[in-house]
Amino acid sequence: MQKNSVINPWRVAPYFMLVIFVLPILIVISSIFGEWSENWSHLYEYVLFDYIYNSSVLVIGVLFFAFILGTTSAWLVTSYQFPGKDFLEWALILPLAIPSYILAYTFTGLFDTYGTVNIMMRDLLSLEENISLFPNVRNLYGAIIVFSFTLYPYVYLVTRSAFLNQSQSMLEAGRLLGLNNIQIFYKLGIPIIRPAIIGGLMLVAMETLSDFGAVEHFAIQTFTTGIFRTWYGMYDIKTAMQLASMLLVFVGLFVMLEKYTRDNAKYTSKSSTYKPKKLKKLTGHKGFLVSAFCFLPIFVGFILPISELSIWMFSYNLNFFDQKFLMTASNTLFLGIISAILCSILALIMNFLIRLDNNKFNRIIGSLLSLGYAVPGLILAVGIVQLFVWLDRSVFSGSDIVLTGSLIGLIVAYVIKSYALSNSAIESGYERISITLDESARTLKTGDFGLLSKIHFPLLKTSMLTSTLIVISEVVKELPATLILRPFNFETLAVSTYIYAAEERMIQASAPAVAIVLIGLIPIIILTKMIRLSNVGRKQ
Amino acid sequence: MKPPALEIQNLSHSFEKGNYILENINLIIKSGEIISILGSSGCGKTTLLRIIAGLEKQTRGTLKINDKVISDESYSTPPEKRNLGLVVQDRALFPHLTVYENVNFGIRNSSNINETPHEFLKLFKVENLHNKYPHEISGGEQQRVALARSLAPYPDILLLDEPFNALDDQLKSELHNETKKIFKERNLTVIIVSHDISEAKFFSDRLLSIDDARIIEHQM
Repeated sequence: MQKNSVINPWRVAPYFMLVIFVLPILIVISSIFGEWSENWSHLYEYVLFDYIYNSSVLVIGVLFFAFILGTTSAWLVTSYQFPGKDFLEWALILPLAIPSYILAYTFTGLFDTYGTVNIMMRDLLSLEENISLFPNVRNLYGAIIVFSFTLYPYVYLVTRSAFLNQSQSMLEAGRLLGLNNIQIFYKLGIPIIRPAIIGGLMLVAMETLSDFGAVEHFAIQTFTTGIFRTWYGMYDIKTAMQLASMLLVFVGLFVMLEKYTRDNAKYTSKSSTYKPKKLKKLTGHKGFLVSAFCFLPIFVGFILPISELSIWMFSYNLNFFDQKFLMTASNTLFLGIISAILCSILALIMNFLIRLDNNKFNRIIGSLLSLGYAVPGLILAVGIVQLFVWLDRSVFSGSDIVLTGSLIGLIVAYVIKSYALSNSAIESGYERISITLDESARTLKTGDFGLLSKIHFPLLKTSMLTSTLIVISEVVKELPATLILRPFNFETLAVSTYIYAAEERMIQASAPAVAIVLIGLIPIIILTKMIRLSNVGRKQ
Repeated sequence: MKPPALEIQNLSHSFEKGNYILENINLIIKSGEIISILGSSGCGKTTLLRIIAGLEKQTRGTLKINDKVISDESYSTPPEKRNLGLVVQDRALFPHLTVYENVNFGIRNSSNINETPHEFLKLFKVENLHNKYPHEISGGEQQRVALARSLAPYPDILLLDEPFNALDDQLKSELHNETKKIFKERNLTVIIVSHDISEAKFFSDRLLSIDDARIIEHQM
């Protein structure tokens, strides 16, 4: 709008943010151009193929099941009225509250030879003690099931909203052209929302590749466990970074695919001829089967783990609120709140800058900052450690360790990883503020800061709160970055759960695990509210 | 002699290179004068108003307020420093502030204001609504509040962009009479952008239109 001769801090802020966000990742990538250690021949000969094979099979398997569970349940709840439909429609997102590693811990607790379900079944059928009625879950196939049932809601959420946008007229045209109900689903429903499905699946793929806790518990050799072992087992940070770079290539491919499909998703939007879908009533055995199908992922992904955690907690008279638990919980909340406030403030500033000056550079920087969500926490941690070691040596002259092993590294990792969540909450809040309000405020003698503090901030309070709550629940769940970056003897709920589970002390692991799930329910409640609102809109 | 309230010299503006929506506009508006700018939609009348307000930067030309250059090709005074009032069709009242707080918003940011927000609310007959939020009052009342808010900081020039467009005929004529009376009593310099010729004639000392990117003056 006007030329400024002085450097405006508002306009420099995005570049500063970009440097902090990108530097750890660049450090990891730069390792490719360094020396390749002797450990590579060991990796190449013994484990690299396993990492690639296991990671690929895991991703393909999880994508397949997440696709089936997510799209079918979304199609059923948006096309049919069946017993329990209103409850199932929002309950289908509940497994999002359970991190994959907690589902993995409870799965072994349930289905191992001496697990709860096996004991119950043996008692019921009066079988001998060494008989196991369920197959071993501590393998690749068990991991595929675990990830599929915790991550399918990503596919469910995007496909549900895309199916809701499909017009009844189009589906009726399909019927008149000779398609039956099932053919309408896979010949019309699915192909039309393909971009949304691929977008959701790419998120699933990125989350699967990023996981450390579940694959570690099942002793599956993947890239993340490989990076961890190379670093902590072989003490070879360079090779760990080179492995991380390879993982980044895979993640980068999924990010590009997700972005490409999102840019091409426009044809699923509502047109002027849009006619809402009429729900077909299903009763009798058909209604029962459909209800059962939609209930299955909720049962496996939410009810089973919650039940097992509750059994551990209550039947063993666990002292939930002991001193250690309270300390761990307060550490976690402290980190969560600080990171969430920082994320929300940064997202507010970035969106405000784009609002002030909607130029290409600001928009590109905004998108780049949001890419942090795709970078596995483990890779971020590796990059941040290297960055901090370098800063301690060069800037702080190596006299004292200032940054390495401090809470700052953890907070930086959380902010980079969770920024995209804050950004999407604040961005959608900004979309609801008319630009004429800004213009009126300007003519009423309001400068940049006044506009932000007196107009935007009060109108964005709900978005800021949503952003804060979502980031807190994300930070609480984050395991690999916390495990690496935490200061000595500093525990969070996720780390505490991991340590207990690694020692097979599942009962002790249940208290922090339940706390993680409870905090993880916060964004679910927000999403549920949104789903309910969209249902009210549909009914009206 | 008092300098012109607004002087526009050789102003041109294009959104795409070479395709001018306003071309070589020259205009002088005297202090206390009310002018209307007419034209079909998309002719550039709102763009001209936005350039005067500082919400858009002209491609070429100079703008002066009270003989002071506020914008030329190399410099542009930001909108908050131009001391102009603006009322737009959708009123743009701040939804999180009460009627009183909306009117007080501009006053807080100004020096040398002698009147209280209540006096402006009284002027536009909305003093009984001071505690209400914008969504709790009618469209006509919102328009009165928007006018009161724009006048409260004593702007040098008041810019109105189709301000009465969203109102029904009876309300419109009622508000026309009251508003014109206030403008004249306070000797305000006002630029109204409208597509309604009778409204423009009712308010204005001078009638202008934009046609083919150029400004044309009409006889009253």
